Amino acid sequence: MRILIVEDEEALREQLVRHLRGAGFVDDAACDGEEGLYYGREYPYDAAVIDIGLPKMDGMALISVLRKEERRFPVLILTARGNWQDKVSGLEAGADDYLTKPFHMEELMARLNALVRRAAGYASPVISQGSLKIDTGKKEVRVEDRPVELTAYEYKVLEYLMLNPSRVVSKSELTEHLYEQDFDRDSNVIEVFVGRLRKKLDPSAPIRTVRGQGYRINLETS
Amino acid sequence: MKSGIQTRLILTTTIVLSVFLSLTGMVLDRSFSASIFAGAESQLRQVVYSLMGVAEEHPDGVRFASELPHPSLNQPESGLYAAVYNLDTSEGWRSPSARTTVVGFPEPSANLTPGDFVFSEADDGGVDRFFLSYTVIWEDPEQFKLTFHVATDQAPFAAAIRGFRRNLYLGLGLVTLLFVGAQLVAIRWGLRPLRTMADEVRDLEEGKRDKLSALYPSELHGLAQNLDRFVQHEQRSRTRYRNALDDLAHSLKTPLAVIRNALGEHNGTSDRQLVQEQLERMESTVMHQLTRASISGPTVVGHPVDLTRVLQRLVRALQTAYADRHIEVSLDLPERLIVRGDERDFMEIFGNLLENAFKYTGRAIRVSGSKTTETVVGIDDDGPGISANMRAEVLNRGTRADEIQPGQGIGLAVVAELVKVYGGKLSIQQSDLGGARVEFRI
Repeated sequence: MRILIVEDEEALREQLVRHLRGAGFVDDAACDGEEGLYYGREYPYDAAVIDIGLPKMDGMALISVLRKEERRFPVLILTARGNWQDKVSGLEAGADDYLTKPFHMEELMARLNALVRRAAGYASPVISQGSLKIDTGKKEVRVEDRPVELTAYEYKVLEYLMLNPSRVVSKSELTEHLYEQDFDRDSNVIEVFVGRLRKKLDPSAPIRTVRGQGYRINLETS
Repeated sequence: MKSGIQTRLILTTTIVLSVFLSLTGMVLDRSFSASIFAGAESQLRQVVYSLMGVAEEHPDGVRFASELPHPSLNQPESGLYAAVYNLDTSEGWRSPSARTTVVGFPEPSANLTPGDFVFSEADDGGVDRFFLSYTVIWEDPEQFKLTFHVATDQAPFAAAIRGFRRNLYLGLGLVTLLFVGAQLVAIRWGLRPLRTMADEVRDLEEGKRDKLSALYPSELHGLAQNLDRFVQHEQRSRTRYRNALDDLAHSLKTPLAVIRNALGEHNGTSDRQLVQEQLERMESTVMHQLTRASISGPTVVGHPVDLTRVLQRLVRALQTAYADRHIEVSLDLPERLIVRGDERDFMEIFGNLLENAFKYTGRAIRVSGSKTTETVVGIDDDGPGISANMRAEVLNRGTRADEIQPGQGIGLAVVAELVKVYGGKLSIQQSDLGGARVEFRI
């Protein structure tokens, strides 16, 4: 998952980056509205965390512009004042949820996960496909009720595919959402991950290869 | 500082009055002088007519009896003079009064049309005089062309004009003074309530009184009332700020002391938990008190706030934030539900109440509002509800800063505070939807 962070307080921004990376997210951190807009236009994000009070361009204006330009990724706003006027204006500008400062990192992570999931159309943190169950809250994967140990990157690949079901996800899209900007895109590491995933998830086989295009998960309604 | 109202009024009146009265004076002066001139002319005509009446024929023109009709014509230097010239022979006759005094009658001129009176005034060797000339064709026994000249000194006329002028300007000056004086009195009297108000406001500042007296004329009544409300509002918010700051300082000291002691004892890992707890307590305290202090309360000039719009915006926003809960919200609101106050305060009240409803409801929320003698807004949900013996406690919880527990949410405490400031009532009931009904009345 690639997350955009726009926060002007350096200490908080760095904490956010640390926590998001720790939780396996890829992120870009901007320190003002204009930089946030640049990133928002440049990369396909899965979600954004935007502070309302930003220098150069405030959070509400930033969200409005992004929404006008058809950037549909979910946005979580952070407000320092916590008053309802701000929250309502933020949500009206196009944000999807709000969090009042100071907040617990766990709370932020839970909200962010919920937003990403919601954008993919799931209500519950547990997504299942046949005998495969993936708990996006706890980052746990089970096959036939038996826990499966995955590396961080294997998990990320699986989660991204599960959150984008019923459509072909190309290898470059996966790379973009799972790695930092400077990652070498020619690498066939993705293929290796998918191969290992398939082995670990046996006997369930959710990932199909679409020749020449990428991968796809079909959620069979059982 | 700009010039005072009094100065402006007096200055304007004085200028307008002076211009008006000067113009009046000028017009009166002119018309009086004109009537004096006209009087002089008609007087001189009379003299010409009577001279013509007593004129006796003479080969060179006319001759007069020794007793002329106007006694002044016989007296030297009387101020009334006459002369008659025969234009054909240039022979002339002068009245006895004009024989010892040099009188510069206009030169005989052929241009004079018979039958015309020519009136003029001139400085005649240091004496201002009026002249009247009349040319006539004398037909009997021979045809002569005679010009009758009469002249009179201006002095008596000028004296009359001077006298009139003196009286006129004296009168006008007195009127001006009277007007300005009356204006001054009227203005001072009219503006006295303003000065009283200024004095009373100063007393308010110095704390000598706590409200304005009620004795103001109708024009100032509204201003005085608003000023009073403003002062009271200011006093209330000052009190609220002070209380909030007191509470803040007070309730921050305890956790700070606990942390300091814990650090002093240095007990290892258990401290971490304790510091964490105290920090959270401080956090909620700061937020609660800051929100409390920022309450505007009923404003002096009460802005109308449409609760229907506020509730609609909040519900839409919360439906976005709680999109994955698929909660059905039914709004049963009149087109407009107007209350007076600050929109932000009502956003705070209903934002917190609605957020709780979204948090605790099952599937449905109903927001209803009505206005009869009081405005009522009800928020119903189909959640677990709040048991009767817990209701009072929920409403009172957190109304004192010290009692706030981390994680409990400061929302309801702020709501309670706000509702109190607005003089409203908040109650929790059993909802017909199965959950809780929170009712707000104002």
